[in-house]
Amino acid sequence: MSAVLQYAVQGLAAGSFYALAALGLAIIFGVLGVVNFAHGAFYMLGAVGAAVLLDTLGLSLWWALLAVPVLMFGFGVVVERLLVQWLLRLDPLYNFLLTFGLTLVLVELVKQKYGVSGLPYRLPGALQGRVDLGGVVLPRYQLFVLLASVAICVLVWLVMTRSRVGMIVRAATEKPELARALGINVGRWVTPVFGFGVALAGLAGVLAAPFRAITADMGNNFAIILFAVVVIGGLGSIVGAVIAGFLVGLVEAFGQAYAPTFAQILIFVLMALIILVRPAGLFGRKEATA
Amino acid sequence: MLEVTGLEAWYGQAQALHGVSVRVGEGEVVSLAGRNGAGKTTLVRCLIGLHRQVRGTVRFLDRDVTRTPAHQRARAGMGWVQDDRGIYASLTVEENLLLPPRVSDRAWTMERVYEAFPVLAIRRRAPGTTLSGGEQQMLAIARALRTGARLLLMDEPSEGLAPVVVARIGEIIREVKAAGAGVLLIEQNVKFAATVADRHYLLSQGRIVETLDNSEFRRREGELLKHLGI
Amino acid sequence: MTSKRMWAGASAMSAVLLLGACGGGGPGGSGGDFSGGKLVLAVLNDQSGVYKDASGPNSVKAVKMAVADFQKKYGDKAVVDKIEVTSTDHQNKPDIANTKASELYERRGADVILDVPTSSAALAVANQAKKNKKLFLDVSAATTALTGAQCNKYTFQWAYNTYMLANGTGTTVTEKGGKKWNIIYPDYEFGQNMSKSFSDAVTKAGGTVQGTIPTPFPNENFATFLTKAGSTDPDVIGTMQAGGDLINLVKQFNESGLKEKGIELAVGLMLITDIHSLGVDQFADTMFTDAWYWNMDPEARAWADRFLAETGTRPTFEHAGNYSAALQYLEAVQEAGTDDADAVVAKLEGKKINDVFLRNGEVRAKDHSVVHDAYLVRVKKPSEVKEDWDYEEIVATIPAAKAFAPAEASGCTLS
Repeated sequence: MSAVLQYAVQGLAAGSFYALAALGLAIIFGVLGVVNFAHGAFYMLGAVGAAVLLDTLGLSLWWALLAVPVLMFGFGVVVERLLVQWLLRLDPLYNFLLTFGLTLVLVELVKQKYGVSGLPYRLPGALQGRVDLGGVVLPRYQLFVLLASVAICVLVWLVMTRSRVGMIVRAATEKPELARALGINVGRWVTPVFGFGVALAGLAGVLAAPFRAITADMGNNFAIILFAVVVIGGLGSIVGAVIAGFLVGLVEAFGQAYAPTFAQILIFVLMALIILVRPAGLFGRKEATA
Repeated sequence: MLEVTGLEAWYGQAQALHGVSVRVGEGEVVSLAGRNGAGKTTLVRCLIGLHRQVRGTVRFLDRDVTRTPAHQRARAGMGWVQDDRGIYASLTVEENLLLPPRVSDRAWTMERVYEAFPVLAIRRRAPGTTLSGGEQQMLAIARALRTGARLLLMDEPSEGLAPVVVARIGEIIREVKAAGAGVLLIEQNVKFAATVADRHYLLSQGRIVETLDNSEFRRREGELLKHLGI
Repeated sequence: MTSKRMWAGASAMSAVLLLGACGGGGPGGSGGDFSGGKLVLAVLNDQSGVYKDASGPNSVKAVKMAVADFQKKYGDKAVVDKIEVTSTDHQNKPDIANTKASELYERRGADVILDVPTSSAALAVANQAKKNKKLFLDVSAATTALTGAQCNKYTFQWAYNTYMLANGTGTTVTEKGGKKWNIIYPDYEFGQNMSKSFSDAVTKAGGTVQGTIPTPFPNENFATFLTKAGSTDPDVIGTMQAGGDLINLVKQFNESGLKEKGIELAVGLMLITDIHSLGVDQFADTMFTDAWYWNMDPEARAWADRFLAETGTRPTFEHAGNYSAALQYLEAVQEAGTDDADAVVAKLEGKKINDVFLRNGEVRAKDHSVVHDAYLVRVKKPSEVKEDWDYEEIVATIPAAKAFAPAEASGCTLS
């Protein structure tokens, strides 16, 4: 029984990275209509950023959790202004290809600078060690990741539902044309929203840094799983992205525990099932037009 | 307040509007009638700024807005009440009301809105699309009133609604007109249009074919109904 | 001069030129046969993926160093003047390795292919070597099949194999008290081979293998596999993952609390680049078997200093192995006076070699396995590290005869 609980916690912890990054991806798609293939690379940059901050400035995870998303937000703004904005009016395929190309460039740049063997990373003392939850022993950091990502998702949900920004993002996602006709300058929100989505991916990367080998390629497989996550959750749905992220983490963990040969394909089998049975995803709406 | 001169619009190679000229004055209710496909909705989309393949001039409140983006026209005082109501499912009734910014000091307060539309007050926390058709229409109109729009562009507001609801809408239009706003009313329901409008335009195949004041409109109602194929 | 004599002179000169061209040997060509008039060494490895740092472009540099050293040693007396070094990326995929090897042998005139990490890719190249009757000196792939069931006349395994790793680490750790093992391995040729070799070594040393757990390759998340491995209360968890996978696993092992429960981690294959990238503190006191260490003696260190100057980093055993393989190949060619594969093979077989990389080395004629001393190594604690890359302490030298399986047991019949 305790093994099952351990698998569940491990799955949810792994799912946290997917949930956070998918949240950013869903928000970007909702407001910009951009399928951001570079999201995996942004996740990787978040982890690399944390490692570099530790190595060059001696800044621990606590600092990285604050500084890296801010830096990634800025980077996202630059990417949007320089590259993405020119293709927004065209078929989404153009931006998909653009972000794919951007991924290749970013990965290669990191490889050139840091090699492929990965960068070292150390957890701050307070997060090391284990906690005993009534007989089940879990690494303290896994618990931290879970709690932190749930907290962040709740925070984002609060902003989405209680603030004017959130209201505008929801409206712009559902019917952007109407929002403009009602007097909302949707265009002005495009850049900060993209930056925010990128910051979330970077944040997921920081959280992953103590857990995963920090290599230039770490985002590649991650990006592909992210797409399975948003398809399962529903491409326009923010709630769907988060729930599907945790779900995929659980599927991965239990798959590895009980059917290791199939573990890798299970997620895609699930995705295929969803496409067949409920093409809009678990939480997706039918195509909404303004 | 609204002056449209020689408006032409295209969808790709196909021309939808041919030299359309209309006027709406302050405190005036003007209706636009025509068959399906005549170009009524195209005209409204050109006015609000969502259709860009245009030639001609649109002047609003003494400013040329022909090239102005939609959100700026809305902020200048154009209020669009869409033909399919345009209510957000991912926003509550109250959020739908609060979404657009106030554009004039004639904006209705939320208290006044809830007083005039009690059903919206009761269902204020429900998602917008859980309201009935008629209630959603009320919401769409209330939303425009809440902004204080100086010119209402109302596209088929009475469509599919019960007569008592339609009558209520007529009341609101008269109230709005009395406060000095202008209304451009797209309506297939010419009987209803005749109860509120001062002037009427008849649009056929992208051209204004007739301009009538209301008394003449009422006299020739039968003939017009036949022309519209109703 | 009469026209008749002119014609005679001209035809004589043409004949000489033609003969000279066919002979292919320029000055120093002393009548020997060199296909294409030159020697081509091809390095086929992972230039951009997970094994880029372990071997990669720096191995190409190591081979070039060998060529330069050879040319300096022999000068004019070298049997061949033109030596070319070329390289290609096989991305660790057997199908690409197969195609590239075929291309190198058939169209680029490669006389020998060197390196080839990833065991499944190496087996494909060995097959091509046999087909084309050209040499393949494998340095970075570990499967014993290369000198066992799938051996052939033209293929040599130069640096190490899974038996060496398993016997070094598996035997020693079991003898030191780690009796109950659980083995986690990546589910492909190398991992399967390692798992079997370790299981054999542990059982022979008196231990028991409680289970073997396959994982996908590559993989990032080992949490569930570690939980499974720890659930049977072993003394040791043996991990056969390599490169980025190993780093992921070790990171997650250190977090899992299994160490606190008294479970040791034994690593099947570790390279100095892995220690460098994860950090010495995360690997401190881990035991593993290394084929060579840059700081193990003055000769190795001297070469490592040259390598550092050339590349900016310290060499792994794969870099040193490629240097040695290239140099010894050239020496064999020099002795044979030709690049003909059979002649070179004959010169290599049975040769005893001591160079920068090989100590007490011998190229076994029976199975073409190059045996040499290996080293049981302990990763230093951070406090013991005196300079960059000073990570390893040699605990024991495993003599060649013990480090490698006896030739009779290989199951190889050369053809």
